[in-house]
Amino acid sequence: MDPLRQDEFDSQACGSIAPKAKPCPRPKPGEAAGGCSFDGAQITLLPIMDAAHLVHGPIACAGNSWESRGALSSGPSLSQYGFATDLTDSDIIFGGEKKLKDSIDYIAGRFAPPAIFVYSTCVTALIGEDMDAVCKEAADRIGIPVIPVNSPGFVGSKNLGNRLAGDALLQYVIGTGEPEPETDLGVNLIGEYNIAGEMWDIEKLMNSAGIAVTSRITGDARYKEITWAHRARVNMVVCSRALLGLAKEMEARYGIPYFEGSFYGAKETTYSLRQMAYLMNDREMERRVDRLTEREEARLSQELRPYRKLLRGKRAVLYTGGVKSWSVISALKELGVQVVGVGTNKSTEDDVRRIADRVGDDTEYIPEGGASRMIKTVRERKADIMIAGGRNMYVAMKEQIPFIDINQERHKAYAGYEGLLRLAKELTYSLTNPIWKLAASPAPWDKEAPPYDR
Amino acid sequence: MTVNRRKKPASVNPMKIGQSLGAVLALQGCYRAMPLIHGSQGCSAFPKALLTRHFREPIALQTSALQEMDVIFDANRNLEEALNLVLSKHRPDIIGIIGTELTDVAGVDYQNMLKTYKRERNMRGGLAFSVVLPDFRGSLESGFSSTVEAMIDEMIQQVGHRGTRSMNTRQITLLPGSFLTPADVMELKEIISSFGFEVIALPDISTSLSGHLLTGFSPLTRGGVPLDSMLQSLQSGLTIAVGGSMERPARRLHNAIGTPYKVFEGAMGLKATDELLHFLHQISGEPVPLRYCWQRENLLDSMLDAHFQFAGMSVLAALEPDHLYSVSGWLEELGVEQKALITSFETPLIAGMEREVWVGDLDDAEVLGKGADLWISNSHGIAGAQRTGTAFMPAGFPVWNELGAYMSVSVGYRGAMEWSNKAGNLLMQREAGHRESSVRHR
Ligand code: SF4
Repeated sequence: MDPLRQDEFDSQACGSIAPKAKPCPRPKPGEAAGGCSFDGAQITLLPIMDAAHLVHGPIACAGNSWESRGALSSGPSLSQYGFATDLTDSDIIFGGEKKLKDSIDYIAGRFAPPAIFVYSTCVTALIGEDMDAVCKEAADRIGIPVIPVNSPGFVGSKNLGNRLAGDALLQYVIGTGEPEPETDLGVNLIGEYNIAGEMWDIEKLMNSAGIAVTSRITGDARYKEITWAHRARVNMVVCSRALLGLAKEMEARYGIPYFEGSFYGAKETTYSLRQMAYLMNDREMERRVDRLTEREEARLSQELRPYRKLLRGKRAVLYTGGVKSWSVISALKELGVQVVGVGTNKSTEDDVRRIADRVGDDTEYIPEGGASRMIKTVRERKADIMIAGGRNMYVAMKEQIPFIDINQERHKAYAGYEGLLRLAKELTYSLTNPIWKLAASPAPWDKEAPPYDR
Repeated sequence: MTVNRRKKPASVNPMKIGQSLGAVLALQGCYRAMPLIHGSQGCSAFPKALLTRHFREPIALQTSALQEMDVIFDANRNLEEALNLVLSKHRPDIIGIIGTELTDVAGVDYQNMLKTYKRERNMRGGLAFSVVLPDFRGSLESGFSSTVEAMIDEMIQQVGHRGTRSMNTRQITLLPGSFLTPADVMELKEIISSFGFEVIALPDISTSLSGHLLTGFSPLTRGGVPLDSMLQSLQSGLTIAVGGSMERPARRLHNAIGTPYKVFEGAMGLKATDELLHFLHQISGEPVPLRYCWQRENLLDSMLDAHFQFAGMSVLAALEPDHLYSVSGWLEELGVEQKALITSFETPLIAGMEREVWVGDLDDAEVLGKGADLWISNSHGIAGAQRTGTAFMPAGFPVWNELGAYMSVSVGYRGAMEWSNKAGNLLMQREAGHRESSVRHR
């Protein structure tokens, strides 16, 4: 195992609650990848489906980013509208506050959302717009919450943006409402964004064990349910550590116990469900969870049998940019897939430790380096498949490496027992596709071309 | 006729795309190039993701990764660091530095910095240029054409003054507009070369974003027009620009080194293609190749077959200016009502159109186009089309709900036929759907 590098330790600050202590490592000009904090804030808040999300800045921040995520909605779709103040030259010179105010009024009047989130961007932060004041004034005037999200792109990474969005929820949303009297209180799911509908699979599972979801923070959420998140009995931080601070703060303020867990892989899923029941301190619920997980695991192992045979011993390189690394490793291990390389570039120290717990000694750590480094690892470690974000998908295709998309934009849900089965199927389809043989064989008149080396 | 705007403070469901993305697209059409966005990380991550999603190809792009303090104190230190790294690690032939609204508002002077940098490092042999593209002006289209213009400027500075120009009358420089797909650029190159001309497309996304399988990863662009061809294009006897926005780079070539140019504003439909072929026939003295005569008849025949489908139909189109102009010309030939034409920003070409055009967003499209049968826009329009019960035809940028969109042809007789059939099929399916539901409900 490679020794961990100093900057991996440094990046610890990105996941903990005290951000000022050690800043995240500075992105390297000419070699940087990944989104900005504004992006991160949107990832966290856009899944509040009935709210309006207004981007305060020139058009590109909103224009280039809306409708790019796979967070699904079971009902309202206002959050899929792209709202922007679309500042022009003269707005920049004379200030955009008037336009912001008018935009808020316009959206409130025409769409009547339960709340409006307003995002600052680099330019509006740079010219010193007083967004907080405008939002406050507007909220008082129109009578709905108008929430400033101060996370302009240039303050840092996506991760930081997630956290700043969490801060906005703490400051402006959580604790401002009360659940309806008949509501069955249970668990807040924090950091689960319903990518490809994963939230729905998770919720189904929880419900069949008799565990209620109190607030979704934020996958397929409604604004109102987040206002009463402080009434939940347990917080679960799902995979992403960026919102750990939110859970910690809620423990301090409201005394809600929290735990970190994941739904990738049967073991992790079972553990998470058990943990919920345990923290709720409910014997009957624990028994129900036991029965459910036993039944589900048995059914799953039955259904996985044909896929396991094919997947056993296959080698994968995992490059998810951090937060998901360790949880996906467990899922892969259960399928018999060996992780021979794993990207740790945005992982926190805790993440890295958890990765280390889950992989064998001969797994290579890829602390940085993007696509070329990844491909090198695939080649050197003789991997069969690459599992990474959509941005790298076509790089892998060019190199004719089987690929599974694991990020924000994907369309397949891999959470829970059902999800693990789906992952097994996807891996199998990908590995056995005839295209790999076809693409590797030269045209008949090109027989002298060197054979493809893999 | 008139360009209108609906009065509303916010943009709702924007169709405008940042100018810098247009610049990145232009540079993808140059071989071994690296676009470098001078701004914060997100300003490169978003375009990269969006272009990847549309073309389903890796996209070459880097950033100076500005953070708050860099912007305030010394943004160019980041740029220098980025340049050093990119140059030493990847040795690109072409570097385009793309200024963003952030560097613009902060008043960063990277133009001069680049000049000094080049002088100090004695940089020769490659092209390195900068272009100012804040997002609060223009859109994808203007970013693209400004970048081509800046590229041409740099080329002229490098070789333009060296002695007298030897002109090659059999060589044509093609300046394809930003709305053309890789397949369109390929088609145009083929059409022009079928009259016996050598064609150098500038930029040439047909060889970089059309999907080829080169092995050996590089973070630079993997296809496109190579630098030596680019420089050689200065010897062309003629420039052909496709799209009104490409007139300015064509004029730049004309003013600096005297290359005559011809602009084809519309690129779609029978008349536009007739014009192009007739022009090529006249300047080359060659007959129009038989295959285009065939294709012309194929097109007319298919339009005859389809005209029943289009009778009484109305269409709304929301596209970038040049594209909208082109598509409107084609719609004219189909005899459908153009219910609403919406574009991202005003250009001279749009201002001069004989139809009413609205500058706005996809929300305006939804309101103004209410009752239309067919909706033509980028994939962001799907939701609006669904809400209004309009058949949806993806076009422009970005398109992600369809495989191979980037390889669909819209220019030439072949393109007009492909589009007419596609639009006709959508209307036919919609009609069938209606019929079914009316039967069911009775
Ligand atoms: S880095 Fe700043 S300007 Fe760029 S997309 Fe992010 S918020 Fe917008």
